[in-house]
Amino acid sequence: MSTALKAMTNKRPFDAGRAAYLALNLSLLAFLLVPIAVVLIFALNPTPYISFPPVGVSLRWFEKFFASSDFMNALWLSLWVAGCVLVLSVTIGGACALALARGNLPGRAFLTAFFMSPLMLPAILTGLALFQSYLLAGIGRPTWGLILAHTLVAVPYVLRTTLAVLHNFDHRIEEAAAVLGASPIRVFFEITLPLIRPGVFAGGVFAFIVSFDQFPVSLFLVVPKGETLPVVLFNYMKFDLDGAIAAASMVSILLALSVVLVLERLIGLKAYVKL
Amino acid sequence: MSFGVDRSIALRHDARRMAAAVRSRPSPIAWLIAPALLLFVLFFVLPFGVMTAMSFFSSNPVSNPNAVLTTRHYERFIVDSAGIFHDALWSTLRIGFITTIISLLIGYPLAHWMARMQSRLGHALVLMAVIAPMLTGIVVRTFAWMTILQDKGVINTLLISWGVTAKPLPLMYNEFGTIVALVHIYVPFMVLTLTGVIGRIDERLEQAARSLGAGRLRAFAEVTLPLSLPGILAGSLLVFALSISAYVTPSLMGGTDVLTLPMLIAQQVGTSFNPGFAGALGVILLLVSLAIVVAYNRILARLSGERGMA
Repeated sequence: MSTALKAMTNKRPFDAGRAAYLALNLSLLAFLLVPIAVVLIFALNPTPYISFPPVGVSLRWFEKFFASSDFMNALWLSLWVAGCVLVLSVTIGGACALALARGNLPGRAFLTAFFMSPLMLPAILTGLALFQSYLLAGIGRPTWGLILAHTLVAVPYVLRTTLAVLHNFDHRIEEAAAVLGASPIRVFFEITLPLIRPGVFAGGVFAFIVSFDQFPVSLFLVVPKGETLPVVLFNYMKFDLDGAIAAASMVSILLALSVVLVLERLIGLKAYVKL
Repeated sequence: MSFGVDRSIALRHDARRMAAAVRSRPSPIAWLIAPALLLFVLFFVLPFGVMTAMSFFSSNPVSNPNAVLTTRHYERFIVDSAGIFHDALWSTLRIGFITTIISLLIGYPLAHWMARMQSRLGHALVLMAVIAPMLTGIVVRTFAWMTILQDKGVINTLLISWGVTAKPLPLMYNEFGTIVALVHIYVPFMVLTLTGVIGRIDERLEQAARSLGAGRLRAFAEVTLPLSLPGILAGSLLVFALSISAYVTPSLMGGTDVLTLPMLIAQQVGTSFNPGFAGALGVILLLVSLAIVVAYNRILARLSGERGMA
């Protein structure tokens, strides 16, 4: 079988194996991207229910989305929470990355794995555990509780991007500054901070998206009438499947895509391949 | 040339001396870990402790003074008189397993393609295409698959209008639809894990095999594939861990056919309001996940060890 294939590919100038490989990968890429394109079609299709093929182009679902106070309240809450999470996780995660990379801490590998673990443990359990803790503490379900819960799952992203940058830049630049007489504080503000800024910032953008799209952690931590956008969309989808969801999805997707472009410009995407 | 070598040796010597000096100096930077540690202890370690403790109480021990220590939540799960809990655990694991295998089959070619791509632009484009779905929330992507797979969705409409089938195929509200959407959601994680590992395999090994007469498929199967095994394991564990904890997708795509552990947990909190039993279910899911995390970290540690030797 493989010899036959080899003979075939050797004889012909047209490389069949190569073409099949390419076709396979392009169709796999299509599998990843087509669903997102489909959402765009339904966001613009004016029929009252999801139906295919589309009959026209209209912005009525976007109007419905932006006119609905339920959706808008949820959108603003999500943006507010995500903004707070961005600031908090960048501060906490950035500081933590510095301590891990430059602090000569004992047990570094363990600590890094520990701070990364919210990514690996079921997020719905993080939500459940916090829900039960808030219940036990009798504090209800405050917005700050939601913000700190999101921060917890966003910190690993900031940690990862910042550590990637810290590993890539030359340690000796800092040492040179120290040798030349700069105090540790001056070295930090004039050398380290400017160098890691792209990594921290990129992590912050990730943190924003993780919070903005967060569902499992939010599920048990939101109160009725005070739900974030993904939770509102989820509840809506259980009963109704119309273009408003598609429009809301498009708003989220456009936000995410613009963020990816910003990321690529900031530090290039290569850093994220190192999981 | 020889100057270069001398210089690099001198530099390395300096670097080593510096590193030793830095290592012996107590670093004030270490204190920067404090806020993260505080957050993680108060909002991560402690809550998981609370969840575990709650699973051993008959009711909320703070509000109810009659609450007693009990193992009845676990007994309820083990005895499973209604016959649904074991099924839920089993279908959680089965969905996770199938999702992982399909994600691997889809993710591997993409990762291989990306890792071996010469053009930087092409690489960046494919990477963006892989990451873009990752950045569109789980709810949005599940919605996308609902519009594609439902009875009046894209696929059924096309199949009926082409006359392939008269009645819409049951693509959704079952395990099939759940797995399709889960695969779509978790393939990017597989691709990103695998790309890093395949990219570190020296391409010349495969070229050597081919110049010695092996066909392209054989060179791949006997050289690249075995060398990427740790990546396959790490990516599979990651996808498995993520898909057994999925809630949105099975509850929207599964209909009444699918009941998984996370759905059961949400039910206990939302409709039954039984935080004790929810905690017990949580502990069971946590134990499965922890076992996976430990295995994942071991494999990653071994991977970085190999990189260190090279």
